[in-house]
Amino acid sequence: IQSNLSRAIFCKMLYQRFIEVGRVCYIRIGDHTGKICTVVDLVDQKHLLVDGPTSGVPRCVLRLNQVSLTDLKIDIPRGCKSKKVRSELTKEDINAKFLATSLSKKAEGKKSKALLGDFGRFKLRVSKTTLNRK
Amino acid sequence: MRFKCAELKEFQIVGKPLSKTNEKTPIYKMRIFAPDEVVAKSRFWYFLRQLKKVRKVNGEILRLTEVSEKSPTKIKNFGIWVRYDSRSGSHNMYREYRDVMTTGAVTQCYRDMAARHRARAHSIQIMKVAEVKASDCRRSTVQQMHNSKIKFPLPHRILKYNKKSIFVAERPSTMQ
Repeated sequence: IQSNLSRAIFCKMLYQRFIEVGRVCYIRIGDHTGKICTVVDLVDQKHLLVDGPTSGVPRCVLRLNQVSLTDLKIDIPRGCKSKKVRSELTKEDINAKFLATSLSKKAEGKKSKALLGDFGRFKLRVSKTTLNRK
Repeated sequence: MRFKCAELKEFQIVGKPLSKTNEKTPIYKMRIFAPDEVVAKSRFWYFLRQLKKVRKVNGEILRLTEVSEKSPTKIKNFGIWVRYDSRSGSHNMYREYRDVMTTGAVTQCYRDMAARHRARAHSIQIMKVAEVKASDCRRSTVQQMHNSKIKFPLPHRILKYNKKSIFVAERPSTMQ
């Protein structure tokens, strides 16, 4: 897979986010929804060994479709220990960098929207219509 | 959702034939992969009956313990030696799986056998399960993960469709 990608240059530009060791991922589905984790190793084409010592995710295997890729990546050896992952994550300050991404902001927005309540949704609707009417 | 009951467990079962004359009888130990203790005991007697002249009626189980994984966060390559009954005969197979737990690999094996060979669980016998070094792996699907700098993109990613957005104004993006 890798050699094909390096030969086709336009492919390299097309795909910026790769499943690789050190890729920071956002967990969409499952026990640890909403947290970020780092890919430590790959089990097979559909499963990742993932660890998130700074975000409260234990070392576990996740399916690829449970996870969303981010632009963030750290430099860790394949299968390294949690301590090393933690030190790299804090060195790069991934938690802060993740909060700046649009994915994180959208997730925050969704969370606050879910907590609106009926009156909140009414207010939202009114403000949207007044904004659109202007 | 991962249904835990659908995964097999590893049991170590030790049993021996009962002797009528208070003689010392040999003790047999087996490594059984089963969803629960009941099935494990049943399979123990099934195999022991085939291999030795012991029946459940004339024997007793000395110990049944569930074996937990020694390193549940380390990815391993498992070689599984299987014997299964097809529609026209019995065959031996060697299959390889990559998983974090032995039980995970064996469960994968059962699912895989069902999918590729329509073999039901009752016609599959796991003869041997062993962790295999990466250099000794024979199957290409397992070998392709043995790249220390492995990386691949997710081209044309289709995530589970939200029913609310079946009809949309713009074509949805399938970039990661």
